[in-house]
Amino acid sequence: MCGIAGMVASSNVGQKLFRSIAALEYRGYDSCGMAVQSNGTIDVRKNVGPVEKVNQNEHFTDMQGMAGIAHTRWATHGPVTRENAHPHMDSQGRVAIVHNGIISNYRELRARIRESGIVFTSDTDTEVIAHLVGEYLDINGDDVETAFVSALRELEGTFSLAIISTKSSGYIYCAKHESPLIIGLGDDENYIGSDFNAFIEFTRQTVIMDDGEYAVVTRQGYTVKELLSREPVKKEVTQIEWDIEMSRRGGYPHYMLKEIYDQPVTVNAALTIPRVDLAAMAAMIHGSRHCFLGGVGTTYYIASMGQYFFSRLAGCYLPAISTDEFTQLAQIGPEDSFIAISQSGETYDTLTAARHAKKCGAKTGAIVNVMGSSLIRVVDLPILQGAGPEICVISTKAALSQATVLLLIALELGKINGHLNEEQLLRCREEVSSLSSMISDVLNERSGFLHTAAGRYQNMKNWLYLGRGIYYPTALECALKMKEVTYLHAEGMSAGFLKHGTISLIDENMHTIVLMPPPEEEELHTLTRTSAEEVRARGGFVLGFRFEDDDKVEDLFSAEILLPNVSPILAPFLHLLAGQLLAYFFAVLLKRDVDRPRALAKSVTVA
Amino acid sequence: MRALVLAAGRGTGLYPFTDTRPKAMLPVAGESFLACTLRQLRVAGVTDVVMVVGHCCERIIDHFSNGSAHGLTIQYVRQKEPTEIGDAVRLARDRFQPGEAFLLVYADVLALGNIYRHVIQMFGSFNLPVAAICHTPQAQNFGTVYLDSNMRITRLVEKPSTREMGNYVLAGVFLMPYELFDLLENKGMVDSLNEVISSPGLHSAIWEESWLDAQRPWDLLRANQMVMSTWTEARVSGSVQLRGSVQFRGPVWVEEDVVIESGASIFGPCFIGKGTFIGNGVLIRPNTSVGAKCTIGFGVELKNCILLDQVQVGRLSYVGDSVVGERVYIGSGTLTVNHNLDRSDIVLPLKDGMVNSNINKLGSFIGDGANIGASNTLAAGAVVSPGAIVPHHHTYPKEGE
Repeated sequence: MCGIAGMVASSNVGQKLFRSIAALEYRGYDSCGMAVQSNGTIDVRKNVGPVEKVNQNEHFTDMQGMAGIAHTRWATHGPVTRENAHPHMDSQGRVAIVHNGIISNYRELRARIRESGIVFTSDTDTEVIAHLVGEYLDINGDDVETAFVSALRELEGTFSLAIISTKSSGYIYCAKHESPLIIGLGDDENYIGSDFNAFIEFTRQTVIMDDGEYAVVTRQGYTVKELLSREPVKKEVTQIEWDIEMSRRGGYPHYMLKEIYDQPVTVNAALTIPRVDLAAMAAMIHGSRHCFLGGVGTTYYIASMGQYFFSRLAGCYLPAISTDEFTQLAQIGPEDSFIAISQSGETYDTLTAARHAKKCGAKTGAIVNVMGSSLIRVVDLPILQGAGPEICVISTKAALSQATVLLLIALELGKINGHLNEEQLLRCREEVSSLSSMISDVLNERSGFLHTAAGRYQNMKNWLYLGRGIYYPTALECALKMKEVTYLHAEGMSAGFLKHGTISLIDENMHTIVLMPPPEEEELHTLTRTSAEEVRARGGFVLGFRFEDDDKVEDLFSAEILLPNVSPILAPFLHLLAGQLLAYFFAVLLKRDVDRPRALAKSVTVA
Repeated sequence: MRALVLAAGRGTGLYPFTDTRPKAMLPVAGESFLACTLRQLRVAGVTDVVMVVGHCCERIIDHFSNGSAHGLTIQYVRQKEPTEIGDAVRLARDRFQPGEAFLLVYADVLALGNIYRHVIQMFGSFNLPVAAICHTPQAQNFGTVYLDSNMRITRLVEKPSTREMGNYVLAGVFLMPYELFDLLENKGMVDSLNEVISSPGLHSAIWEESWLDAQRPWDLLRANQMVMSTWTEARVSGSVQLRGSVQFRGPVWVEEDVVIESGASIFGPCFIGKGTFIGNGVLIRPNTSVGAKCTIGFGVELKNCILLDQVQVGRLSYVGDSVVGERVYIGSGTLTVNHNLDRSDIVLPLKDGMVNSNINKLGSFIGDGANIGASNTLAAGAVVSPGAIVPHHHTYPKEGE
């Protein structure tokens, strides 16, 4: 997802345009840029980094001119570099363009344009469009609109885009096809943007563009036309009536819920990570004496879940270490490797661990959500999880997608080292491909039960989460979600550990949640059942998260949440999801600051 | 923005109170569902209301008239026979203009906070028809929805009965295009909404504040508690007469011209309506709502109950976990028992047979105008039909009744 903005005004647009892309930063923030046109030239400034930081060096706010366009980027593929940042220009500097979307036929177009001797300066599909418009300007003389439309007609894929040109001063040309674009109507100035946030600070009058339309926007007005016929389209002016935060959240009451509901999509994004990248990571592990998994907080628990994937699917033990303790603990050398997990790629402890591993000569890999982050530059083999920006301080979608990536790497390793035969591998892959729809099922058909449970037990202040096997780190992560967002006392524990001390805490003030494995996992199932019985025997309240067709746990729990039946390798994902939702509903009922819990920060960049 | 308010529902599940009034006119915490809805619509910026009325509609029309006293213009459309909801909507077709988008509101739904403003804002944000959705423990009683990652509704299933559902449900507030009327010409409400879902699409507005659609008499007690739980301070009208030492504690709301005799203890949250008389030594415990012009005799105890207007409760009676209809007379020394001795869930005889409330503490539900003689014991879950006469010295219901 990227954000685009533009404006035409009677005075310098730099200041306001900068505020526009700053307001769009939630759509992505790994690089950004602006282009402003004045006196027959176009000034382009861009670089890698968040909007505020890039402004410090590039001084967007000083840019002079009456028409400008701007872009903030969230890369999913291709490196984050200054060259790849938008805006892009044609070879003669007549046209600058910003674009959101994917041009599917850009390879053919690029090859064709190259033949005419044009040198490309970036790897992007967007630059192709700039040259294409340039080509048509050569043909059509200075008729920018005709050149723009002719170029657009050659594009396949999705786009919302905007151009400015030295050939028509004070004009923005923009078009929409399956990516969002709207026009804002101001007082003697007009705006465009990916969404309302781009200009809501300046105006609440907006025109919503539809697919297959383009618009010519000037200081005094705008014309919307059909791309195919070039016939003008009559558009209604809509008054924006909601608050800014709500539209950024896509209408969700909180980012946390939005990101929980993003998970069917982010899991699919993880499933489309190129097999070669996963195989390279698996080969790195295979070639190492020891491979350590590292994360801190949620990512440590995800790494701990990873241990069980590798153990089960690849027959390997990869110790997970919380990265704040890494240098004290890990004996790592040139024959070893280290895989770091971080949403932001800026987490101090994890960066330090990765640098330490590297210094000791180990091979390094990472699973990261933010492209262009420090961790990506530190390690040899980064894998981008492509989960999109995560705004809520509490990690949900990034964590679940990291677990998915670890599962996929474990499958690759199982294939390389022969732990899984062809048939097993095929079956596992098939099972994993249904994860997204299982998550949708739980979100749609089960969330109400978790909401009801939260309503019923909202006054309980102490929660113990129990699990065995992979459900143990899952229990740790579910408990962490609960304490982070509700400020209630919650702790995760391996169910077998319980009777070695903690069981003495069981009384009417301590509620227990048991993550029940599916009945196919007989040994784990029996052991977990025993632990639940131990708690109940001491008069403890037990809320069971269990699978629907599990007939061995009748009357075992004081209350239960039923999850749809899934294959054992997917089971912990559904428990994790249930834990996220329960924590969320608790937080809402307790009126907590869900997206910004007290004392927490999104990315912990200090020791 | 104009609103189409559906207030023709009979609410048969709420017997014995809906035989004599529309469901929307049932009061909780001193205000009827409909009055609460109209007040919030006004706050959300709605000025014109088209209201579909049916069963006992004169009660609504007499009370709200043309709406001017409530800052609204109200037009009424009469529905003769209660049928499918889509029919009620269709009746109002000629009151709206083609191209006009309107709020569609079920009047008998209670939501804390302004759900209407939320829906209007979502419509503004996404420029698509909107349906408010929420979670409720009884999802299977409502239209359940399926969502995609963008909060768009992908599917609507009406009252699924095959198994328990945990979906978000329709919360009874929509923002709909005029085209809905066209769809309803040939289809029912659910099918029409499914048409809207396929084109142009239906955006959800997730409602996370409290929400309740009263379907059974005891839901009125829930709704009453829900509203009162948000009260934080006492509000006592200046015209209230306290005749001697009266104890108030917590958020106690007392309206104009209430008279309270010496020795009464009133513990909030509770509500006492206009012109009511509270006798000596009365104990009013939390979550009690007493209507207007009631008379509460010496030494009466009230707890977690709703008394509608003009109720008389004779001396030394106890009313708890109960709802008492208009103009009911309760003789002195009457007791509403509120639990079974084995603490089992209370089962009530309602119009559609014996219904388990899944609650183990519940008193009586007494229809409008009933006369309960002195020195009576009403069993837990007793339902007294409107106008019934229960003689003195009685246990109600009698063995086998």
